[in-house]
Amino acid sequence: MLFRFIVLQFICCLPFAGAFGETSDVLFETHIKPVFQAKCGKCHRENERKGGLDLSSMKGLHAGGETGDELLTAVLEDNALWHQIEQGEMPPEGEPALREKERRLIRSWILAGCPSKTKIENTHELTQHDVLPILLLRCNACHGPQLQQGELDLRTLAGMLRGGKSGPALVSGDPDSSLMIQRIETQACPPSESLLKFFVRRPSTAEVKTLRDWIAAGAPEGEVEPDVATTSNDPLVSPNDRAHWAFQPPSWPDTGNSIDDFVGQKLTEAGLTWSMPADRHTLIRRVYLDLLGMPPELDELERWASSKDRNWYSRMIDHVLSSPRYGERWGRYWLDLAGYADSEGGISADPLRPVAWKYRDYVIEAFNEDKPYDEFLIEQLAGDELLGQSGSKTVTDDTIEKLVATGFLRMGIDETGSRTMNFVPERLKVVADAISVVSSGLMGLTMECARCHSHKYDPIPQRDYYRLKAVFQGALDEHDWSSFKQRKLNLATETHQAQIARFNPPLEKQQKRLVARQKELEAEIRLNLLRHHHPDQSETDNQTTLRALRKADNTRTLIEKKLVERLQKAELIPDSMQPTNVLKDRTEAEQVRKDLHRLRQRMIPPKTIRALWDQGRPSPTYVLRRGEHDKPGTLVGPGVPSVLTDGKTPFEVTPVKAASHLGAYTSTGRRLAFAKWLTSPDHPLTARVMVNRIFAKHFGTGLASDPGNFGRQAEPPSHPQLLDWLALKFIHSGWSIKAMHRLMMNSRTYQQSSRVTAKHHQIDATNRFLARMPLQRLDAEALRDSLLFVSGRMSLKSGGIPDAVSVSRNGMVSVYPSEENNHAATHADNGIASIQTASGKSDSREAATIAKSEIDACWRRSIYLQYRRTEIATMMDTFDYPQMGPNCLDRSVSTVSPQALMMLNDKHVHTLSLSFANRIINMIKNRGLNDSNRTRVDLVYRMALSRPADPQEIEFGDDSLRKLTNSWHGDETKALATYCHTIFNTAAFLYVD
Amino acid sequence: MTLERKPVSSRRDFFARTSDGLLGAALLQLLTSDVHADRPPKAASEKAIGSDSSNRTSNYDLSPKPGHHKPTATSVIQLFMNGGPSQMDLFDPKPALDKLDGKPYPGSIEEIGNTNVSDIGVMMGGRYPIQRHGESGMWMADTLPHTSKMVDEICMINSMWTDHPNHDNALYKIHSGRLFMGYPTLGAWTAYGLGSENQNLPAYVVLGDPLGLPKNGTRNWTSGFLPPVYQGTPFRPSGSPILNLRKQYEQPSEVSLTASEMLKQLDEKHRSRRPHQGMLDARIESYALAARMQLTANEALDLNLESAETLRLYGVGEPHTDSYAKRCLMARRLVERGVRFVQIFLEEQPWDSHVDLASNHRAICQRTDKPVAALLQDLKRSGLLDNTLVIWGGEFGRTPTSQRSGDIYTGRDHNMQAFSTWMAGGGVKGGMSYGKTDDFGHKVIENPVSVHDFHATILHMLGLHHQELFFLRSGLEERLTGVKIPSVVHDILS
Repeated sequence: MLFRFIVLQFICCLPFAGAFGETSDVLFETHIKPVFQAKCGKCHRENERKGGLDLSSMKGLHAGGETGDELLTAVLEDNALWHQIEQGEMPPEGEPALREKERRLIRSWILAGCPSKTKIENTHELTQHDVLPILLLRCNACHGPQLQQGELDLRTLAGMLRGGKSGPALVSGDPDSSLMIQRIETQACPPSESLLKFFVRRPSTAEVKTLRDWIAAGAPEGEVEPDVATTSNDPLVSPNDRAHWAFQPPSWPDTGNSIDDFVGQKLTEAGLTWSMPADRHTLIRRVYLDLLGMPPELDELERWASSKDRNWYSRMIDHVLSSPRYGERWGRYWLDLAGYADSEGGISADPLRPVAWKYRDYVIEAFNEDKPYDEFLIEQLAGDELLGQSGSKTVTDDTIEKLVATGFLRMGIDETGSRTMNFVPERLKVVADAISVVSSGLMGLTMECARCHSHKYDPIPQRDYYRLKAVFQGALDEHDWSSFKQRKLNLATETHQAQIARFNPPLEKQQKRLVARQKELEAEIRLNLLRHHHPDQSETDNQTTLRALRKADNTRTLIEKKLVERLQKAELIPDSMQPTNVLKDRTEAEQVRKDLHRLRQRMIPPKTIRALWDQGRPSPTYVLRRGEHDKPGTLVGPGVPSVLTDGKTPFEVTPVKAASHLGAYTSTGRRLAFAKWLTSPDHPLTARVMVNRIFAKHFGTGLASDPGNFGRQAEPPSHPQLLDWLALKFIHSGWSIKAMHRLMMNSRTYQQSSRVTAKHHQIDATNRFLARMPLQRLDAEALRDSLLFVSGRMSLKSGGIPDAVSVSRNGMVSVYPSEENNHAATHADNGIASIQTASGKSDSREAATIAKSEIDACWRRSIYLQYRRTEIATMMDTFDYPQMGPNCLDRSVSTVSPQALMMLNDKHVHTLSLSFANRIINMIKNRGLNDSNRTRVDLVYRMALSRPADPQEIEFGDDSLRKLTNSWHGDETKALATYCHTIFNTAAFLYVD
Repeated sequence: MTLERKPVSSRRDFFARTSDGLLGAALLQLLTSDVHADRPPKAASEKAIGSDSSNRTSNYDLSPKPGHHKPTATSVIQLFMNGGPSQMDLFDPKPALDKLDGKPYPGSIEEIGNTNVSDIGVMMGGRYPIQRHGESGMWMADTLPHTSKMVDEICMINSMWTDHPNHDNALYKIHSGRLFMGYPTLGAWTAYGLGSENQNLPAYVVLGDPLGLPKNGTRNWTSGFLPPVYQGTPFRPSGSPILNLRKQYEQPSEVSLTASEMLKQLDEKHRSRRPHQGMLDARIESYALAARMQLTANEALDLNLESAETLRLYGVGEPHTDSYAKRCLMARRLVERGVRFVQIFLEEQPWDSHVDLASNHRAICQRTDKPVAALLQDLKRSGLLDNTLVIWGGEFGRTPTSQRSGDIYTGRDHNMQAFSTWMAGGGVKGGMSYGKTDDFGHKVIENPVSVHDFHATILHMLGLHHQELFFLRSGLEERLTGVKIPSVVHDILS
């Protein structure tokens, strides 16, 4: 025993234990290989290498897997192979486990230093690809694509040898004489003062050693080809992996040729039957809210309700689909997917993205004109490269459109505009978000896991994640990062430019004046607050306070802090105790703010476009082991997830000429190639994912229940044949989304009643068989838009800069009204001029001002609200308006008491009900109707709930109105307003049958 | 232990149930403007944690849910010290550093951990006299005269570290475990995992500083990708505590009464025609809860119901402490009523002393020390401390070197490599100091506690297991503690 222990110890210390194989009893070939073959060989052999690992030979073991972990070290704690075995991670669940004897055998083999018969050369030949990732990370900022300080470019060996002003960067074979080594080791480079300026950190000792070793070895340039798909079988993804339904192209089902056929089949199997068709009014409300997110106008309701046409229903769908309001509803869903936001997020300041809205308008327009989905995707993924193909030089609307579309890939949270948060890891996070949006949003694949390791459940090797990253490298390059300024284009058509020149100069002058006045007022208010509440404080101290406010609070001295606090406390004192000059100035400041907002809306939008484009000089893409930015692995080239191909087809990329507006260079063409692959008719996922998304919005749940995950972990689709059939129909319709709406909404399935019977409840509580329509709650936008629309307070002005929000002192985020009093044309029945202040008598000056402006105001649809990540309008937030992190594929629905508090107690909702009441009264007058409580009740029902009131409801409403009028001391308008407010609060208003 | 705990839970039960019982019903009748107030709340349904976001029929709520194991803490009060308090000045004295005061940093200044080296000054010794206190002999500076009397209840962790030297990212990290925006906070995860014992109040309450929001604003209590029902609810320190709790317009009470009766009838009719629609029941219930909340929320925050002695103890009414004292006292009243997670914030980031550290830290200690000590004492005497975890700390610590600001060197920069945080109650060991930093308080050298470890430990005390508490999002199991498995710091648990 003792002897053996000594031998083992001895062998452990030897670098090439294999040479001593004969003296040891456990050898790889004789003992270990058979065990690996039997227990691990299914996934880790030469032709199938899960996690990049081949356990069938010592060569494979030496190469290791994608993590780059040491598999052959004799130190058990450091041995990744042993770690996996010991933790019971491998073999995985469901596969035959290692027997105890086998585990012991492997353990003693490892402890013996992994002896084998064949001698293995453990020397890794260094090549330029061991060095380039280090230079990219540490030197590229000053000696790369954007800057060549000292005329030095370190991106290639040739560049290093050519050197810069001071001579060649390296002397082959002599690291000590190499300038780059000298500069790095004396810390002359990267220069201390540049670390933060260029977001660089110094190379680690290990990195410097690699540089030295490589130079010492003669700076060899290996012929390393990027790892891309070839014509031979992919060892990392097996045919079995490809068998999952979602990775196979959709095929026409054998039986069935309509939605109802497939649903019907399943219903019969489940022992269920169709529900009764919903009544006509229910259908009208359902269709309008579904497609437009707003109920029908009274006239439209009457038109469809009384139509004698046999095809009234499909005509109604056609009619509704042609409304410009449609794009504002369905475009919003796409914005959720893209993660649209009007601010960058990430840092506290949450800087605004002033022209992100151009992308929002592009999306709305695309939905309205039913842009074919394939085209829609190609433009968003590669609009810039499309332009290059066309070669046109003039700026047309089309040019602008295609560039704006690429904003899709720039929607994520982006903190890299910050002074201190623009390092490579933070940039990689931005890239990762874009990849996540593309993969889960467009392909239903969760690739995020594969950023750090091969996917645990789905056949997505880590390599595939980085191949996909390489697709975007030309435009989203963490080593060639576009600053916020650099990613803007100033491009406009001639007409647009002429408009700017003609209309904007006087407005800009006004704007300047208003901004100056705003600043003046701000200072005046502060000074007056201090003078009033702290009369003893010296004027010098008052001025110091104002100056201190301009400093970051953490650099204020204690005296400054105390002065500021004094001011803050004075600001919090209620209005009733504030001096007149402060109140007056505050009112004026509010007015100036409003004027500025309106002025900005009147201006011709700037030329600026927030776009993404290929720069034609991508850095090489390396797999990042464990996803860590400074652990580069294999060099990869662009490619798509292998499991979605046959694994034997190379990904063809054709470089294209860059659009002439961007410059004279060659664009990589990678994104264009990707977009074309994604939209090819036999793509297994693109069409399926989109039709499923449309289906989910119409029917409450998708056929595949998780819209962002079609992988093996996801619940299989409820109607797989229907999903395939719809996907193929979609492609054959020319990728028409509106055709899909027609197909789905004209089905019998869609027109069913939403009543749940005892049988439904027992057999299919979650409605997977679709024996009924689901009851659905209005989402945040539909609720707010419906309230505004019904009460005649909606401005239908579309597009342009978003409506600002304001945050009150108590944290309420409310929406700034868009326009005042100029909507009369759209809502002839409003008679707004006759409305009295909402709050009744109120002696608070502040309250009165707000009430007056509210009563005159109109608001635009919720899609036009400024989506600042840190200032989500309270009403939207309360009703589950999502956060974008990076996007939202499926909104959650909560039912909580703040919703009730909002609807019951919020002033804005209350004001809207007053407007609604006035609208009803004016309508009765204008239309010469017989004015009575009954007429009023019926109109309220028709307008708010899109149906007439039944006799019982009329009776009840009449009774309630009488009581309310009494309680309001005879004020019928107020009574009606309370009635309207109550209807707004009913479940009937909030839910759609 | 058992003897001490019983009255506590019954005390909590009492407050949690008041408004459902006779007393509450009677009071509600008096107020009458509440809608659906007479509907009894739905029996608390027990639901497993680890819910599936793809299951769209699941309705997220705050009903109490069983944890994974027996908890030692049922509530948390987090006294968040935004800006990064200085460990070497307050809790972790460094004689070696004091000796080098005014001398250059012995080593490469780039090691200091921040990116910008140009404004790094010289070594800066502790700014306050610091002594051992209590039976445990825990170190605490003289700026904390009251808290230092409570050290035997406190477990001081001197070996915390984090991953980013910027406030924004470090704040995301300490609250949500991730360096980036958009992830749910510890409080949101707790509410998601455990629900609330009191359905009449939010599960997760935030008591902000009347002077303004903390750095990062409302993102400090976001629910991220969790359903918004789990986000923190800010209570306003004066007036009506919750947004829209009271009508924001004027209306005679008979009108409100008629309207609520009308609404009730219309909704009942609507529901009776739509059987088996769980969400309609839930909605009616949410209106009932809204009504009950109007009563309970005001009562919970009404400090007039506290004795003069208690008010004095916290420092209510004293110029420096009044604001923080009120919030500490409210926090006690809230956990007493079964609120799961309470956070108290300070405006902006007062601890962030790049300039005038000595006077700035002293001023902020003056504002918070007495109320914090009183909170511990008050929780202790009522027995609530046994199952209430109190956490005191910020997002990172401070450097041993001074920092240049203009031409003065009177403050310290951020230090992500080491900082001190303390906990008390809820099952932690009192009088314990855990972990060690190097001679300058710059880096952790013994028993490091990462932010993930910190979170895992807090979850553990709450009866939750960090691996089993997850939310399925697009096929990914999202966790507070991320992918790499953290360790619960068992050494600090009693």
